[in-house]
Amino acid sequence: MNPMAFVSFVKRIFNLLTRVRVEREIQAEIEAHIELRVEDNIRAGMSPQEARGDARRRFGNSALIQERTFLEDSSLIFERLGSDIRYAFRQLAASPRFTMVAVASLAFGISGASTLYSVIQAVLIDPFPYRSADRIVHLHLYDQRATPRDLLLTGPQFLKFETFPDLEGAIAEDRFSEALTGEDLPEQVQVGKLSLNAFQFFGVPALIGREFGPSDSQQVAVLSYRFWKKHYQGRSQIIGSSIQLDHQDYTIIGVAPRRFTWNDQDIYIPLPYSADARRIAGVYARIGPGMTHPMMERKLQPLLDGFAQETPDNFPPKFKVHLVSLNEIAIGEFKNVLVILFIAVSALLLLACVNVAILLLARGEARQPEIAMRKALGASRLRIVGQLFAEGLALSLAGGLLGIFAAVAGIHLVSRYLPRGTFPTEAEIALNLPVLMFSAAISVLSGIGAALWPALRASRSPFRQEAGDIFRVVGQMHVRPDYMVFLAAQVAVTLVLLTASAAALRNLWQVLHADLGYDPQNLISVGLTLHDGAYPRWPDRVNYYERVRREIESQPGVVSVAIAEGPLPPVMLDSAPFSIVGEKSDSNEQVLPLGVSPQYFAAMGIRLLRGRVWSDSETVHAGHVALISEATRRRYWPHSDAIGQTFVLNHGIMTGNVWTLVAPGNAGQYQVIGVVADSPNQGLNEPVMPAVYLPYSMVAFDWFNLVIRIQADSTTLLHAIRQKVYGIDSAQAVGDATTAFDVLEEASLGRERFVAWLFTAFAFLALAFSTFGLYSILSYLVVRRKREFGVRLALGAQRRHIVRLVLSGTSLAITAGIGIGIIADFGCSFLFAQWAHGNTRDPLILSAAILLLTFISLLAAFAPARTAVSIDPIQAIRSE
Amino acid sequence: MAKNDLQGSLDLLVLKTLSQVGSLHGYGIVLHIEKASNELLSVEEGSLYPALHRMEQSGWIKSEWGLTETGRKAKYYRLTASGRKQLEVAERSFEHLVKGIQTILRFA
Repeated sequence: MNPMAFVSFVKRIFNLLTRVRVEREIQAEIEAHIELRVEDNIRAGMSPQEARGDARRRFGNSALIQERTFLEDSSLIFERLGSDIRYAFRQLAASPRFTMVAVASLAFGISGASTLYSVIQAVLIDPFPYRSADRIVHLHLYDQRATPRDLLLTGPQFLKFETFPDLEGAIAEDRFSEALTGEDLPEQVQVGKLSLNAFQFFGVPALIGREFGPSDSQQVAVLSYRFWKKHYQGRSQIIGSSIQLDHQDYTIIGVAPRRFTWNDQDIYIPLPYSADARRIAGVYARIGPGMTHPMMERKLQPLLDGFAQETPDNFPPKFKVHLVSLNEIAIGEFKNVLVILFIAVSALLLLACVNVAILLLARGEARQPEIAMRKALGASRLRIVGQLFAEGLALSLAGGLLGIFAAVAGIHLVSRYLPRGTFPTEAEIALNLPVLMFSAAISVLSGIGAALWPALRASRSPFRQEAGDIFRVVGQMHVRPDYMVFLAAQVAVTLVLLTASAAALRNLWQVLHADLGYDPQNLISVGLTLHDGAYPRWPDRVNYYERVRREIESQPGVVSVAIAEGPLPPVMLDSAPFSIVGEKSDSNEQVLPLGVSPQYFAAMGIRLLRGRVWSDSETVHAGHVALISEATRRRYWPHSDAIGQTFVLNHGIMTGNVWTLVAPGNAGQYQVIGVVADSPNQGLNEPVMPAVYLPYSMVAFDWFNLVIRIQADSTTLLHAIRQKVYGIDSAQAVGDATTAFDVLEEASLGRERFVAWLFTAFAFLALAFSTFGLYSILSYLVVRRKREFGVRLALGAQRRHIVRLVLSGTSLAITAGIGIGIIADFGCSFLFAQWAHGNTRDPLILSAAILLLTFISLLAAFAPARTAVSIDPIQAIRSE
Repeated sequence: MAKNDLQGSLDLLVLKTLSQVGSLHGYGIVLHIEKASNELLSVEEGSLYPALHRMEQSGWIKSEWGLTETGRKAKYYRLTASGRKQLEVAERSFEHLVKGIQTILRFA
């Protein structure tokens, strides 16, 4: 459209909107005309009445004229545009296959990109509802260990820390499993104890009621939205009623909004400050605006060094403080996956646009003679451009609209299947409108651009050149270079996505078939928590745990019960420095220690390879014995017998605190009495780290997990277990049951499955795009060269010559695309290496992908090639 | 002039008038055409306005409000550059047409 026509177009639309003003102006113009005639008539000697009558007669029906004039000012363009659009729809309906592919490409591109970007925005960029969440940090203390320790402060230390300059406030926090008492059976609930300033710090108002603040007493509680829904069915009357935790009454003063899920607790109560050096709490802080992490770390280090001198037990020796932002804590390595997925889906959007461009270009190419003919018959350049513009517009709008619907559906799908535990629960996944508009705009623009390309070319070129093709025998010998580039780009992106998908699938397969070393079938774990300060003497505590274990084992349906320090594998535990007595060793040696009861190995199904398991009596008498995993044996005793050897383990909790009781005489030295098989302890597809198993009684925590092998269904078992525990001590609570499969799913299976499915879907979409791209290029090519092929066949060309002619144009583009794809693949492999071991560079995967791509390309070429060889020479020569 | 005049001849007359006079309102155009054709042609006054507005939308002419000699407000039209080009095209095609018709009339 030339600029003038565009201005006029806009003016006419504007005129429509200001109809009254435009009509008044026309009326004034007509009245002026009549008045001028009246003046002349009077001057010629008529009476005023006569003069007016004559003027009106001469002018004609002024109302009708006014109406017609207004129509000239406004609607004409719409009539033309309307007919262009009608024509465009007829054209599109005439080739449904083309239309469907183009619309589907746009829709997939738009919906894919906006869905995934929305997810990234929701879970990576802005997941938290808290005020200035990007500046909230957690503090890690690093010594030479691989896993850091959290900063823990006593009450007075926290008060000093909170007012530190350059910090915009801080909160102290601790989490407990407590017993919800005063109801049927004690139920274990997760209680977050927050310093009284916490809700001010977060700046998220309560959903109903209010949150606690500095002036509140200690005996108030704020419920989480989830707990309120689950336990109170969302009744708002509960505000003001009381709730009992560990036999202490708290008044419910409010319910937090749905997105306030700070550390996924059920109930939030005030954290009492205490001067007791053994009562410590975790710390979160908000750093001041403009402060970088390294700057803040340098400022905080002296303060924390001072705290470490006050309470050396709470700090590792020679530590460095490291700030971790909330996002890093919440997302961890899933971030890389999302970024890779986003790159992939952006590539897909690009591919969709390229595909539409190819389709439209190929179509435009085939229509060059038609356009030239229409031009020769008198269609103005503007008309032709207008018509093609309308076609591109209709196509893009259809694709865009479908894409928006698909994006809405996509976001529902993704938020349902996005594995829990891989992103913060605060995140609310919703369609991001600006992003949706952006990708829709890109697709629509690319559609219109590609539609106009041939129009501009055709409307510029003289008729003879283009229409000449109709009469020329030999068509273009080669595919136009712009197609070649697009086709190569498509093939390259498809290849990268195919290899990525294969790598992800192989990863998933490896995870599914990982050697667990234990049997996850009919295996559950149940949390067991002592209420604050229960069984403060070591022998009482161990006896309590032993009794619970025995009682539950006697329950029908239970095969065996063990006590374990950690959750079920493959969840990672903290490592501890390890050395062998009598050997000089590197201080950086680390193993994963796990306190368990001797039944653990039988209950889990972990095979004993050598030696023996310790006895219950060794547990209650704090026997300094240990089993080592096969990985530990391989690493430390590859050629000698490990059994009978002694190692030293520095737990870092040797002194214990209120909650942790260390066995009398525990010097951190253990004698190896047996070797057991490995099981994954750092995630399913990560290498197994050396592990050691110790009697859990050596360090008796106030919580443990019961690992229970059951006969079959566990649904009624949990209640029975709660009753048993209640029978032993009515103050203690039992948590929910988790199956081994839940843990596996959460640990990595869910994520791997999600990634693998997404990549596979992307790869197949990409494959479909390139197939259709190639197919449409070849089809139009064959149509254009029909006459030439006819002549060649008539002159005795063999069918294979024709097939070669058809394929020769595109094979170069495909080969180049594969080449570029391989290079891009190598470039991307470092990204994949961050989360997957099955990397994309794997020659097996790469060659399989290339083979598949070549095969599909041949398949796409099959139909056009068959059309080409089945051309009837006589008809082909006559037909045009 | 007859109601169904030869297509485009009104446009041609308006464009030519404006090219000669410069700036003129609708009524003036009517008078000028009548005077310049020695009263041979008369424009149907009402149908002038849709034509004027169409030509303005096509960018051939421009309009602005001004005052007549008698101090009355009226809308004045003037030719644009593209209007000048259009005038040439229209003149040529009209000559063509006239030549064609004359030929037919002479030899039929």
